[in-house]
Amino acid sequence: MTEGIILETRNLTVGYGRKPVVSGVDMALRAGEITAVAGENGCGKSTLLKTLGGAIPPLSGTMEAMGQDITGLSAKERAKLMAIVMTRAVRPDYFTCHDMVSSGRYPYTGRLGTLSDHDLDIVEEAMEITGTRDIKDRYMSEISDGQRQLVMLSRAIAQEPKILLLDEPTNFLDIKHKKLFADVVKGLVSKGEMTVIMSMHELDIVKETADRVMTIKNGGILKQGKTSDILTDAFIAELFDLSH
Amino acid sequence: MKKDIASYLILIIFILIPAALGIILGTAGFDDPGFYTILMGIRLPRTLAALVLGGALAVSGYLLQVFFSNPIAGPFVLGISGGAKLMTAVVLILFLGRGIHINSAGMVLASFIGAAISTMAVLFISRYTDRMSVLVLSGVMIGYICSALTDFLITFADDRNIVNLHYWSMGSFSGMNMGNVLCFSVFAVIGLAGSFALKKPIGAYLTGEEYARSVGVDLKLFRILLILCSSLLSATVTAFAGPISFVGVAVPHLARRMFRTVRPEKMIPACFLGGAAFCLISDLAARLLFSPTELSISSVTAVFGAPVVIMVLLERGRRHD
Repeated sequence: MTEGIILETRNLTVGYGRKPVVSGVDMALRAGEITAVAGENGCGKSTLLKTLGGAIPPLSGTMEAMGQDITGLSAKERAKLMAIVMTRAVRPDYFTCHDMVSSGRYPYTGRLGTLSDHDLDIVEEAMEITGTRDIKDRYMSEISDGQRQLVMLSRAIAQEPKILLLDEPTNFLDIKHKKLFADVVKGLVSKGEMTVIMSMHELDIVKETADRVMTIKNGGILKQGKTSDILTDAFIAELFDLSH
Repeated sequence: MKKDIASYLILIIFILIPAALGIILGTAGFDDPGFYTILMGIRLPRTLAALVLGGALAVSGYLLQVFFSNPIAGPFVLGISGGAKLMTAVVLILFLGRGIHINSAGMVLASFIGAAISTMAVLFISRYTDRMSVLVLSGVMIGYICSALTDFLITFADDRNIVNLHYWSMGSFSGMNMGNVLCFSVFAVIGLAGSFALKKPIGAYLTGEEYARSVGVDLKLFRILLILCSSLLSATVTAFAGPISFVGVAVPHLARRMFRTVRPEKMIPACFLGGAAFCLISDLAARLLFSPTELSISSVTAVFGAPVVIMVLLERGRRHD
């Protein structure tokens, strides 16, 4: 394991069933950095993140977190290592934002899931960080999309993960909430231990927030490296087949 | 918190009053010589049946609503009660026809298998649709098919014992004895304890299955345990009281509105108390409205319960427009 690398994959192939979507993924997440995954719709960004998060098994290759094979982790150990935010959140009736954020404490609570004072403090703090404490008693079904994604981010923060997996978290948000969301993520990383990998379409936000970028095209990694080196106008045109 | 306690107290009052009336009211009065026998042999077991089975049915409905993320799921509308009823009738007719007596536990087992088969059918359909209205309609159809087959079996079975099945197959809390009460109480307590033991993953499952998995819920195991608890509860009800309509849908909805939450630690006790109250009141109405003629319990619960389902559908339809 190289110093400062928190998650590393070697020759990873991801996909559904037996059908590979992206192959030959060699990547490393550096602790305390934000890595963005970019590429066209359907290129496999989501599949890659789902595989890293354990929702689907890898087809081949290895995934290691701090030198340990993550496919061998128990569900609880994995939940303490990684938390996710996806594009969509469910909005059950009569389920408050506080209930939602509390669910992030799942790996830490006992058999009946009773929250300790410590758990409640962490939940409050996680909502403070995203600025959603004011709406903690409102129902998930009655807040805006932007607020909902910030609540889901608080839920992930309350999970106290080392790695945050964000799968197109801002797709349905207005520009104000997209920026707000990205700022909160950036603040989290700058403060300390959190490492982020996110897929995102908004390249202007990627440029502002991500330290590194990994691009996917035609079932493989096209290019990865420092954001400023990768996201040149010429390369963006190549990545998205834009002719000038 | 204070509000919740007040709500629970209201539910308990709504249990105690109809329960007391159910025991006191009737053709035989206190001074009748056979009063004690009627009390212990007929009225008390019937009252306890409405209380325990009504509560069990509502909790079963809540579990199904969690499972399908669908506020109009319930053992009756998804055809699960129908499957339980059909399997119980088949087993009873097969065994009674050959002069073999089966005990209450055997009935519950048969009913449980029927409930499980129906649940499997609904699960199979749910893989092809995300729309709750389609799922519920399919469940209602499964229920009709099971009901038709049961009627067919009962009509053509000529054994005298089976004539009683006719009342059971329409849903009724009558004809219970204290032995039955003991038996269904044991199964109900197992089902309720199991449901409560699942409160942690239920809470996580309410956030959606992908998020539930990401915090460490073993989805496969959880789904199996949830369905087992729900099927055990609704099978116990059906084995003893036949299919009882709409309690499993209406009560969880009313409980959600009353307690303003879907969280299991409040909903499981609230649904149990609410289901008990709902069934006690309905049974009282079934007994007394046109006394001495008795209505089937399902006719009464449907009158109260079906409008609640329509209300939920309209409410959700409006929100998603």
